[in-house]
Amino acid sequence: MVTIEVLVKIAFREERVFLALFLKGLAVLLMACICLSAFAVTEEDIVIDLSGEPASLDPHVQWNPASYYVYRNIFDNLLMRDNEGKIVGQVAETWEQTTDTTLKLTIREGIFFHDGEPLKPSDVVFSIKRIIDPEFGSPQLGQFNKIVDAVAEENAVIIVTADPYPSLLAQLVKLSIVPEHIISKVGDSKFNDAPIGSGPYAFLEWDRGNMVKLIRNEDYWGDVGPFLRATFRSVPDVATRVADLRAGTADLVVSIDADFAQQINSGGTGKVLSALSERVGYLGLNLEKPPFNNLEMRRAASMAIDRQGIIEGLLQAGEVPIAQMLTPSHFGFDATVPPFEFDVARARAIVSANQALASSPATLATSPVFDQRIVQAIQQMLNDVGFNIAISMSDMPRYLEIVTSPSNRNSELSFGRWSCACQDADGVVYPLLHSSSNWSRVKSTHLDDLLEAARSSLDPEVRQEAYDQVHQIVREEYLMLPLYQATVLYGAAVELNFVPTANESMFLNRMRIAR
Amino acid sequence: MIRFLVFRFSQAALTIFGVVSLVFFLQRLTGDPVALLLPETATEDDIKVMREVMGLDQPVWSQYANFLFDTFKLDFGFSFVRNAPVSEIITSRIPETLELAIGALAFSMVCGFPLGLIMAFTARRQVSKWLMAFVLACQSLPTFWSGIVMILVFGVWLQWLPTSGTGSLSHLIMPSISLGLLSLATYARMTRTAVLEELEKDYIRSARARGVRGARLVRKHLLRNSLVPIVSISAIEVSQLLAGAVVVETVFAWPGLGLLTMQSIAARDFAVVQIIVLLGSFITVSANLISDLLYSIIDPRIRL
Amino acid sequence: MEYLKEATFILRREIAQFWPYLFLVIFIVMAILSPWISPFDPDRQHLLARLKAPGFEVNGGVFWLGSDELGRDVLSRVIYGARISVFVAFLSVIFSGVAGTALGMLAGHHRGWFEQILMRLVDVFLSIPAILLAILLVAILGPGIVNVILVLSLSRWPRYARVAHAQTLSLANREFVVISNAMGATTLHVLRTHIFPNIFNQILVIATLEFGLMVLFEAGLSFLGLGVQPPAASWGSMLSTGRNYVSTAWWISTFPGVGLFILVLSANTIGERVGGLPKYGGTES
Repeated sequence: MVTIEVLVKIAFREERVFLALFLKGLAVLLMACICLSAFAVTEEDIVIDLSGEPASLDPHVQWNPASYYVYRNIFDNLLMRDNEGKIVGQVAETWEQTTDTTLKLTIREGIFFHDGEPLKPSDVVFSIKRIIDPEFGSPQLGQFNKIVDAVAEENAVIIVTADPYPSLLAQLVKLSIVPEHIISKVGDSKFNDAPIGSGPYAFLEWDRGNMVKLIRNEDYWGDVGPFLRATFRSVPDVATRVADLRAGTADLVVSIDADFAQQINSGGTGKVLSALSERVGYLGLNLEKPPFNNLEMRRAASMAIDRQGIIEGLLQAGEVPIAQMLTPSHFGFDATVPPFEFDVARARAIVSANQALASSPATLATSPVFDQRIVQAIQQMLNDVGFNIAISMSDMPRYLEIVTSPSNRNSELSFGRWSCACQDADGVVYPLLHSSSNWSRVKSTHLDDLLEAARSSLDPEVRQEAYDQVHQIVREEYLMLPLYQATVLYGAAVELNFVPTANESMFLNRMRIAR
Repeated sequence: MIRFLVFRFSQAALTIFGVVSLVFFLQRLTGDPVALLLPETATEDDIKVMREVMGLDQPVWSQYANFLFDTFKLDFGFSFVRNAPVSEIITSRIPETLELAIGALAFSMVCGFPLGLIMAFTARRQVSKWLMAFVLACQSLPTFWSGIVMILVFGVWLQWLPTSGTGSLSHLIMPSISLGLLSLATYARMTRTAVLEELEKDYIRSARARGVRGARLVRKHLLRNSLVPIVSISAIEVSQLLAGAVVVETVFAWPGLGLLTMQSIAARDFAVVQIIVLLGSFITVSANLISDLLYSIIDPRIRL
Repeated sequence: MEYLKEATFILRREIAQFWPYLFLVIFIVMAILSPWISPFDPDRQHLLARLKAPGFEVNGGVFWLGSDELGRDVLSRVIYGARISVFVAFLSVIFSGVAGTALGMLAGHHRGWFEQILMRLVDVFLSIPAILLAILLVAILGPGIVNVILVLSLSRWPRYARVAHAQTLSLANREFVVISNAMGATTLHVLRTHIFPNIFNQILVIATLEFGLMVLFEAGLSFLGLGVQPPAASWGSMLSTGRNYVSTAWWISTFPGVGLFILVLSANTIGERVGGLPKYGGTES
């Protein structure tokens, strides 16, 4: 109020002077506040902009991509994938399948939790039992509920599954080992607030809604990487993330598209890192509603879509057109599936032969998280040959509700991007094609048999055989329309070296600073 | 007087109850949060288990009764999306929210009052028209666009200010201006109207005729009386801030309640949205109540 | 020469008075005539001519204002965008204005339990931040033009209701109303012939100010991914996708931004002026 009175005093002596003063005052105020960016990013610190906040840092409860990025640096997993995508040991040094339903893993010695306690086989058993306990209510239960028991045996752990479970190793890549002695002492919720793991980085601070800070674990058994501290910030707006990178506020940003990549490249203050991921962009078809309850219509739709054009014109990050729901990085991929043909003339011919059916109104369900450029391009390609497609965009929960509802309430078409983070066909084609799954629009006993056979055999050849047949059927009957193998794009500071991987993991200890 | 106070307070309580109930049922209509919480490979059984854990398997009425009962006991529930008690999530955001709100209000008042005064005293001249145009222009652009332009100009290009986040006073400048611009026009216009109205009144005319000029006139006579409408508008502005904050906080990655609201609705985090709404309506309703009471203090002619 | 000077002075004064109306008329004409005046189909994509600067020649014409992220003509989309922006704002002001005013007048005239319930409901609605209410409602109804209009109307009617109610109350004891009531006139008659004409001015002032607000609201919903359905363009949705290209393709967001800015500024200026006129209860001389 004092300032106002002073201003007012001056104002009435001379209006004009006041105006000038007012403007000057504003300028001074602005200049006074302008100090150089508080984020002096030193060589040893790294700032990473994620699109959201970690849902949790306890690796066994509710998680989202942001929590995955963070906690995988705090915890060691039972197994992991190297940069080439091969499953290698982490906490487990070696492993062997002792019977069809038991797996014996030897636990590495000399791993210590951040509080100095050694990691024992009993911690592994505790971690497994914790995540499969229905009382605990882990959302990840579905990935591990084939495990019925785990027992410690000297320096080894034996995992028992209900049936032969071929994708067990792929799932164990996602199993983080938590310290029994701490959780049993402080309880689940305290543990989530200040997690203690055995990974290359230790938890330092969690400013809720804002950032998580980690600090290097100097006693780590493996490679620790070049950073003393790491800050994971939550920056929901992609334009802001890119601005952060360009201004030097952030060293690594996630979830950008090729148009932002171009912005980063042309700015000169950052670079773009990309890798083919295990994610597949696809169109889901409703096989019980017109027009796509008709094989010819599905064929026409597929022929109308210029996958190569979308990749070269819009995606522009080295995506690969595909004709099955898997990528070469998955087990179960069949290299012999013929590519989808792109033939607008034939698509038109098919459509005009059955104009009434093709022009029945259909909606294409999508959500703001997907790349709307692609959805709109697909809509135009389909409508160009004579379909009558309207886009229906709704927020994520509503979208999920639509695409997992029974056929009669489902949309005719839906855009999706699938990743099971397990690089195994079982995590992709089973939920998408088995009649028991919410996601499946397919009701075929033959497919069900094949999927179940592949799920319950430990013989890779038997499984591959079954998946080959599945891909053939999907391809011939156009049950779904796989579009492309997606790439994952990161914006990074010029001096940061980092090899993105197919499973979109982000290990700080695999990064390097170029000097 | 006492009867009136009791009446106003019970009316306020009823309003808050109405807001909370309305939002409770609206939220239940927006769909199921479970699908979003589980991985895509989840089966029918997994979904059922999760619904039971979250208490969503009970009928809506019993959920509502439980919610009212718990809230009455000041037990604000647990967020399954963020794995934390709601009270903890919200209290951690309050300092940042206050910081931004104060920054924005300060900006809009410090700029709005003088602008309004100038406009009132120059009412018959061209200056006033230009200032009015300027003031109106300030609130004619969507913040999501002007915000990113500000970031690019002052953060990336000139490098004067940090691009996003919190931490120092300089982090506060751009978000406060962005948010404050919306209220700036309201303050300037209200000040102008209020001062103009007062200037027309007899006591000011006679004071002016007596030769009372400048600061004395403003301090002794104008300010006090023109404050009435301005105070009441402040009450409304405070509640508008939360609305504006949704966009501003998203753009500037500001970890306040606006961003939390948006993310929680998007994640169907019912418990969090519910308590934010409770808090928001509480603030709005009490701000209105306080402004009513202040009216009678500033201007004794208004009787309760 | 003297009279020329005077003429330019008058002209300047008149333009200063009428520019907001002029722009409103231009935008409305643009909205009505869009199919005939836009050079391209606004949704037609040219994937090989994406993000081209203004003046880019493409087979079949020139992108006078450049092309957007899917190679669509920005000029055509700005013209069609006027249609949706004006249409959405106009209809939601009409719907919320009519509903709010009618309910407010009824409450003020009838009193009793109806008034109590309605005015508490108004309090409740006004205590929820409008954007939050809008987000929740869109989440329930789904996005799309019709739903956006519905949502905006549903969240804004209480503003009119409160003013209409207060004004009706202040008129209730005026002679012409009392006499009319005593003579057994129907509610509809009293409201239509006595109340409404007397409160219309205040409602009009709110409506003009709300118009600009509705344009911005629609833009905000687009930014949050809850606005009109793609590929349809509103200025708000163009602005919210274009903001991602500010530093590489400024033209995508600048032109709809200018349009939106002028539209809102015009509405606000008109509202300000109407509100300031003496017969509308203003104080400006």
